[in-house]
Amino acid sequence: MLRFALTRILMSIPTLLIVALSVFFLIRLIPGDPASLMLGDLADPASLADLKHRLGLDQSIVVQCAIWFGNLLHGDLGQSITTQEPVLPLILSRFWVSAQLVLVAVFIACLIAVPAGVVAAWRQNSTVDVVLVGTATLLLSIPTFWLGLLFLLFFGLKLQWLPIVGYVSLRDSFNEGIIYLFMPVLTLFLHEMGVILRMARASTLEVLRLDYITHARAKGLSEGQVLRRHAFKNAFGPTWTLIGVVLGNLLGGVAVVETVFTIPGLGRLLVDSLFSRDYPVIQGCLLFVAFTYVMVNLLVDLCYPIFDPRVTAE
Amino acid sequence: MKRFAPNAIIGGLIIGLLLLTAALSLVWTPYDPLALSFRAKLAAPGAEHWLGTDEFGRDVLSRLVTAAGTSVWISLLTVSFAVSAGTVIGILSGYIRGWFDRIVMSFNDALLAFPGILLALGLLAIVGANKYGIIVALGLAYTPSVARIVRGTVLSLREREFISASRVMGNSEAYTMFRHIMPNCVAPLTVLATSMFGWVLLAESSLSFLGLGVPPPAPTWGNMLASGRPYIAQAVWLGIFPGLCISITLLGINLLGDAIRDRLDPRMRGL
Amino acid sequence: MRIVYSLVALAALSLPVAGPVFAQTITASIPADIRSTNPGVNREDTTDAVVMHVIEGLVGYAEDTTVGPLLAEKYEISGDGLTYTFTLRQGIKFHNGADLTSADVLWSWNRYLDPKTEWRCLSDVDGTNGLKIESVAAPDPQTFVMKLNRPSVLFLDTLARTDCAMAGILHKDSVNADGSWNKPIGTGPFKLDEWKRGQSIRLSAFEDYKSPPGDRRDGYLGSKRPLVKQLNFIIVPDSATAKTGLLGGNIDIAQIQESDVAELQASPNLDVKVLQNAVRHGLIIQTRDPLLKNAKLRQAIAAAIDYKELVATVTSGLGTVNNSPIYPGSRYFSAAEKEGFTYDSQKASGLLKEAGYNGEPITIIANKRTTVPSYPVAVIAQAMLQAAGINAQIEVMEWPAQLDRYNSGKYQIESMSYSARFDPALAFEQIAGSKEKQPRKVWDVPQDQVLIDKLAVIGDPVERQPIIDQLHKRMLEEVPVIFTHNENDCVAFSRKLQGVTPWQSKLRLWEISVQN
Repeated sequence: MLRFALTRILMSIPTLLIVALSVFFLIRLIPGDPASLMLGDLADPASLADLKHRLGLDQSIVVQCAIWFGNLLHGDLGQSITTQEPVLPLILSRFWVSAQLVLVAVFIACLIAVPAGVVAAWRQNSTVDVVLVGTATLLLSIPTFWLGLLFLLFFGLKLQWLPIVGYVSLRDSFNEGIIYLFMPVLTLFLHEMGVILRMARASTLEVLRLDYITHARAKGLSEGQVLRRHAFKNAFGPTWTLIGVVLGNLLGGVAVVETVFTIPGLGRLLVDSLFSRDYPVIQGCLLFVAFTYVMVNLLVDLCYPIFDPRVTAE
Repeated sequence: MKRFAPNAIIGGLIIGLLLLTAALSLVWTPYDPLALSFRAKLAAPGAEHWLGTDEFGRDVLSRLVTAAGTSVWISLLTVSFAVSAGTVIGILSGYIRGWFDRIVMSFNDALLAFPGILLALGLLAIVGANKYGIIVALGLAYTPSVARIVRGTVLSLREREFISASRVMGNSEAYTMFRHIMPNCVAPLTVLATSMFGWVLLAESSLSFLGLGVPPPAPTWGNMLASGRPYIAQAVWLGIFPGLCISITLLGINLLGDAIRDRLDPRMRGL
Repeated sequence: MRIVYSLVALAALSLPVAGPVFAQTITASIPADIRSTNPGVNREDTTDAVVMHVIEGLVGYAEDTTVGPLLAEKYEISGDGLTYTFTLRQGIKFHNGADLTSADVLWSWNRYLDPKTEWRCLSDVDGTNGLKIESVAAPDPQTFVMKLNRPSVLFLDTLARTDCAMAGILHKDSVNADGSWNKPIGTGPFKLDEWKRGQSIRLSAFEDYKSPPGDRRDGYLGSKRPLVKQLNFIIVPDSATAKTGLLGGNIDIAQIQESDVAELQASPNLDVKVLQNAVRHGLIIQTRDPLLKNAKLRQAIAAAIDYKELVATVTSGLGTVNNSPIYPGSRYFSAAEKEGFTYDSQKASGLLKEAGYNGEPITIIANKRTTVPSYPVAVIAQAMLQAAGINAQIEVMEWPAQLDRYNSGKYQIESMSYSARFDPALAFEQIAGSKEKQPRKVWDVPQDQVLIDKLAVIGDPVERQPIIDQLHKRMLEEVPVIFTHNENDCVAFSRKLQGVTPWQSKLRLWEISVQN
């Protein structure tokens, strides 16, 4: 198990290196540079050259790259060009915001969607199944940014139940934080519920067709027992894998939800830094996302045997 | 002959309607989708403008219809781009194997380490946010997943009897590849392409919503929603209709995708 | 099970949220996080606006953009224009309780003049751009003296500039022992309490604040008392969200879009005030473009635009046409500057014929930033140019990409906005200059440049006016740029706030009280 984990981590290093290198050079192909953006229409050649020098942007791109990689080896992602904050703490603090949003939403979605998916598969083609799958497909089809917008219009503006702007960290005040998280979590939750329900149903169907279920039935176990003892447990494996994918994708998709609800998360940090050409922050964010994605998938693979005894981690 | 499943019928109808609208937009829209009208700014839906007008007095219905055309066109081109590029890479990689496979796949995996939309976001900033930039960016972003699936299929087929048989019969590698391996990729690719059509549509509108998609004045549902957002409190229709169009289209694609998969690849039923 | 429990708690909590919790707090929204708290170093407009609540300079702008004493009681300029003597006001305290003396002013100025501080206005006073502060001195506790290398009519203006943070005077504990920046300890009406990056900035009233003389607010001068306990600037990047926040009562005051004015004014809880400022919007034209180097074609473009219609549409009926680079509130905005381009479609088609224009496409570059009307101006101008027979196209870019084109001069037409310049010399300097040296310059005609250079050395308003009038006329003939209108500073605020006045798009939250 440990060796497997270590190999996987070592294997992900070249991937991350390629990511880091391509990100570095690709970002610099984008037209527009942070120094002239900071000066706007005030950029006379002297102050522009001065600012570029101060930001280290006057050096050749290879030198800049070497410096960045050198610092990276020490775990230093550099500092933001626009705010001069160190990048790693900045990313971690923003990631925490996105993560609590995503984790809460996916967790609640799993609690509801996985059992619902199993039930839908068990009663395949019944009214229950059709209704559940229909609802899931519908939820899946509504883009989160539009759903969020509708919630803002309805709960925020029409009913004035929930605050429209702002964000309070759960760590600062749990009760207040929950209020600000409600709409964004609800939006993500509804969307992910559709995704997860369909996955859970599909993997249960797969399992129900297998021989040992037929065996179990033949042994005279009740349908409930079959479902609990065998189907549910085994169907969770594949679903678990897909939940990993969902978590990874959400890191990208959460940017729109954060934009709708003005939540200072990682997604918005990336979009904002892209607009301000804040190279170190863009590089850091993309690398961090890739890293997290790889790690989440690794974690999922390591946990897989727990849910599916047929698979061993070797 | 199998009966058509209800999801095939509903999905098919929605997508049929979408394609019809897209075709219609090429020849006719109620109004010119780009024509400004200073007198009819933010007019509510009514007899003259069925779905109202936007902040420049442009007819919302005409813009939605035109946007349908743009979206279908972009999605089709993007999916074709990703599928053809991915297939070529996947087949070559799976067939040649060795160092070629190793290099290509580690690049592929590096790209797969990004959520598609983030990758597209970065690429888009580089190639420039315009209609063709989107196609290239999203196409590149979705190529790795195609390449992976095709490579997998190729690898699993490679050692099967009929492939060896084809070789034994003296057929060239290229012939074998196209005659025997390609057809076997069609089923998984059709399933993937259908869902990809939906992803691209969603990604395009999300990017437009973040201000990075197809630039105005050409309408797409995403950029209509984004430009209409500041006005939704006074002009609800600007927030409702484009979102409704995206949702209905995605619903159609998802239903149709389910139906296609059930038919082509019963193993993946309901996924 | 904690999550499930919270959901239940949430349902119970979701009702009574709307409405401010503390009556003595003003919650203002700002469109972006501040860059730093270090005055005039790492900054943009929003940062300046927030930091100006905390610090004050020797001089500052009055409402009419003239310069007056702020921390100084008075200043004297020697006959040769080289020596500036500032006398400080008595009894002013820093936020840490220390008294303000000329030693602090000297310390602050030595810091600004040190290249290590990276003060953004250093190049304007260290000789890089000609003017140099030769020496600064504090001969006695209430007196501060500066000596220049040459007389300048713009020196005090530079000191008052908001992007220089008024060269705000700081207590030396504002920096750490190693000289690095810590936090601003100034003399302003509010103290910095907490900056939560990406979220909010909280200021609190400075109880020992000593306001400059005056019975009311006057730009950065006049009465500046803090009238509430706390200011909370929250970061709301999205204007649509800020608007919904105002309507929902979560935000007390915010700058809003022109298109939202009517709607917010109609709300029973909100009021809106609108005032023109010195930011100018318009279309810049590349006079070196193979097609557009033809002045007749540029004149045709200028004649093809119906300015009234364009400005009315873009500003939701709030703006007025101004084709001059001079700000309408300026003393130099006279009858000559009011004369702009005339919309005349017949003249336009005549000029097009003369120019030999043959339907070649002309591209207008625009961006979709919500803070400037770049895109709407381009859309409407395009429609009007097309109606006049000009094949105008729009290319929408991200702002950084457009700025890149602007700085390199690679465009035909750009829909642009220019930041505020109060003095006419600077207003013209902004657009005019040699394209060889600076490709971003728009207007490159040597004989006109001579006039602009003259403005920078003549201080007497009576002498300046005819030069400005002549430059304006030349600009209308040359058409290197078509200014359409000035920015409107639209401030929406809760009716509970008393004393709100917009000014130059800077939120000023002193002298504002909350009524319940």
